[in-house]
Amino acid sequence: MDELFKIIGVALITTVAVLVIKPSKPEIAMLIGVAGSIIVFLFIVNLLEDVIGLFDYIMAKTNLDSDIMMLLVKIVGVGYITEFSSNICSDSGNTAVASKILLAGKLTIFVLAIPIITSLVELIVSIMP
Amino acid sequence: MGVEIILKIATIGILIAVVAQVLKQAGKEEIATLTTLAGLVVVLTMVVDMISELFSTVGNLFYLY
Repeated sequence: MDELFKIIGVALITTVAVLVIKPSKPEIAMLIGVAGSIIVFLFIVNLLEDVIGLFDYIMAKTNLDSDIMMLLVKIVGVGYITEFSSNICSDSGNTAVASKILLAGKLTIFVLAIPIITSLVELIVSIMP
Repeated sequence: MGVEIILKIATIGILIAVVAQVLKQAGKEEIATLTTLAGLVVVLTMVVDMISELFSTVGNLFYLY
């Protein structure tokens, strides 16, 4: 629980620092925003490890073939990184670049999901009489 | 890894702004821009280090590599 308070503290201090520096040096303000969000993420990492542990537990219990579950975890990771960088770009004002990053992230996720789709189709075909 | 990095970058930013302002008053226009650039490079290297650490952490966490 104290992780949450630490995260909120760091986030507030980052916002204040960004607002202080913005009028004189907007580029450094943007870099402070990036640094702040990276620090908040590094706090969150150990929370995320429990979530990934849940995925492994599910994999072990349902002996679903683990490469599909690995793909799920990968897709979550790609989604997170894409959203992180597109928010940073739209924060500093250039929303065009942000939307391009989102598009690239969606396409990467789609490419990652292709094996899942093919195995689904094979499953359906095998069920059909 | 905590607040001190943010405060360090903020102080560098304020320092650059002040030094550039002083140099501008003293009439050394080009040195002011150079100091601004130098400060930006310092801050950029620090942030790039953090970004590379972030990407390696995410890579390990989500088996992305």
